[in-house]
Amino acid sequence: MNTALLFQSLVLGVLLGGLYALLAAGLTLYFGVMRVVMIAHSAFLILAAYIAWYFNQQTGWDPLFSLLITVPLFFGIGVGMQRLLITRLRPATLTMMSVLLTFAIALFIEGMIGFVWSGTQRRIQLPYSGDSINFLGASVAVVKLMAFALAALSLALLYLLMKKSRFGQALRATIQHKEAAQLVGIRTDRVAGLGFGLGLATAAIGGTALSLDATIYPSLHWHWIGPLMAIIVVGGLGSIPGTAIAAMVLGIGQSLLQVPLGTTWAQTLFYVALFATLMLRPQGFFGGRLAQRF
Amino acid sequence: MSSRRKHTWGVAAALSAGALVLTTACSGDSGGGGSDDTIVIGVSLPLTGDFSEPGKGVQRGYEAWAQMVNEDGGLLGRQVELKILDDQSSADRVVQDYEALIAKDQVDLIFGPFSTRLVVPSARVAEEYGMLFVEPAGAAGEVFEQGFENLFYAAPAIAEDHYDYLAEYLLGLPEDERPQTVAVASMDDPFAQGTAYGLRDKLAEGGLEIVVDEVYPPNTTDFSSIAAKISSSGADVVVGGTQYQDAVNLIVSLQQLNYQPRLAAFSTAPTNPEFSAAIGAKTEGILSPTGYTPEAAWESNTDFVERYTEIHGSPPSEDEANAFTTGQVVAAAVEAVGCAEQGDCQQQLIDWLRDAEVDTVVGPLSWDDAGRPQSAHLIQQYVDGEIRIVLPEDAQEADFVFPKPAW
Repeated sequence: MNTALLFQSLVLGVLLGGLYALLAAGLTLYFGVMRVVMIAHSAFLILAAYIAWYFNQQTGWDPLFSLLITVPLFFGIGVGMQRLLITRLRPATLTMMSVLLTFAIALFIEGMIGFVWSGTQRRIQLPYSGDSINFLGASVAVVKLMAFALAALSLALLYLLMKKSRFGQALRATIQHKEAAQLVGIRTDRVAGLGFGLGLATAAIGGTALSLDATIYPSLHWHWIGPLMAIIVVGGLGSIPGTAIAAMVLGIGQSLLQVPLGTTWAQTLFYVALFATLMLRPQGFFGGRLAQRF
Repeated sequence: MSSRRKHTWGVAAALSAGALVLTTACSGDSGGGGSDDTIVIGVSLPLTGDFSEPGKGVQRGYEAWAQMVNEDGGLLGRQVELKILDDQSSADRVVQDYEALIAKDQVDLIFGPFSTRLVVPSARVAEEYGMLFVEPAGAAGEVFEQGFENLFYAAPAIAEDHYDYLAEYLLGLPEDERPQTVAVASMDDPFAQGTAYGLRDKLAEGGLEIVVDEVYPPNTTDFSSIAAKISSSGADVVVGGTQYQDAVNLIVSLQQLNYQPRLAAFSTAPTNPEFSAAIGAKTEGILSPTGYTPEAAWESNTDFVERYTEIHGSPPSEDEANAFTTGQVVAAAVEAVGCAEQGDCQQQLIDWLRDAEVDTVVGPLSWDDAGRPQSAHLIQQYVDGEIRIVLPEDAQEADFVFPKPAW
């Protein structure tokens, strides 16, 4: 095993981890705010990727511009979904029933993508798709770097929003203790709707980042939901920094493990990490004590 | 749309089942032709899930075959009708589907599904019911080692022999021009591995060194680590045992690492029309074996390509052609034996095919005792942006480009 390959794998792992963090950020937010297990999150990622592909196909512009459409659109869908569907679930069985509800939504999205754009596997053809930058001897693909930058930027924004803004405070208060938040005058149902919209907006960004360097097809989301769920559990449900760290650790771990173990075994890392977390520290390694309510 | 189509099939199946009961009740009364005397052919295909892309190609091929047969007056003077179920790319579903088609729906004939992984379990069901099982996609060697006596593969060659012409060419090069090292990455799938390992083993026997030999699960979408291994090995030849998205993602990942092999061969994906839409101008020199080309001058092929293009607006690719070939093979047996129903007829069809040579859109086909076709695959290469046949030399549409230009 040579060091150049190891360093290259490390670089790839960091880039992959960044993407994982972005893709998982929304999932942890939904659970944090509303105890909703959002199975359809990855389906929305793929939907955003399809919109980016279609946008590029129709206009010839860079798929990143499709964010101008998908981010507000997904935010709106998220708010609508929470206000119209999720709130109708009984609080006592919310977590369980949200699995069923969002599973149905995931199937619906998959079916609609197939119906509208067929099952043909698509890839955005970018003039810079094969380009890379040399970084200390390792090749860093431009598309992966862009996805990473997009992830870093949106996670930083999300973090600032949560920490600094009034809305963020209200959202965190809702995450921490819903009844107490209501007592101090926070309209938690409205905050929950906006929080859900925010989560889905990250799916729009994540899906677009994914579309830069992936071949997409309607059923692709099933390959993503498992690893993403593992990431948010390891990271402590509801904690965005925890999710980011867990995503980074697992991304780098997976990439490095592929060198000696091969792809098949490296993929099991997520599930090993999931089992280990549930056995040793069910509240997650970085998050609060939310998981105990699961 | 698809649900409506299913509905019509349902009605049609019910009608034909009713017709069957009627005709057996008052035997001697020859079916008056028309819709109550159709030949129903049952198929299960992966229309959703991982194999939906090639699955839909096979569906188009079957439907084109049925439409053309019906336009030409049907089989034995009877109209044919397909009953296609969606197995969602699952081996459990495919077994259920064929059980239902044969036992419950009482279809007259069956066609095979797509992909080796689904062919083996469904061939077993077909064998239990003594049905003729001609299939368009189970090319891996293991399909023919299960002892099936009812199975025929409707394509020119089994997976392990797909690269025979390429291996022959490479090993025939003078020592100083011949590549020395080979990197192999294959999906954990009998067909994909069959093609790649067929070439790998022949090159290894010829003295080339295998420096990377990776296997990845079918759900793999990130190929950067595999690409890093291949790139770091600096192999002269890269061989991909691939289906579609894995080849595209692996090739782009290799390009991102500035890896420039002297020869790159991938199964299946490069023959897909979507391939160059995904990779763009960087396909130059990529090789792929193929059992079919729309340009082939076989008699039935010219007609097939023309009428298929009329229906779909673009010429058929390999999946469509193999499906169509399946239809042709079954039709040849039915016409020769003169029957199409469950029971003794099926064994007669099987016996006839065992010794027959059938003219198809992929050329004349004949089979050994296990159902292995006895022809060879052509080697195609992207030359000047078009995929052309480069090997063997007597079928060549363009000169073989070696070493491959940088991508």
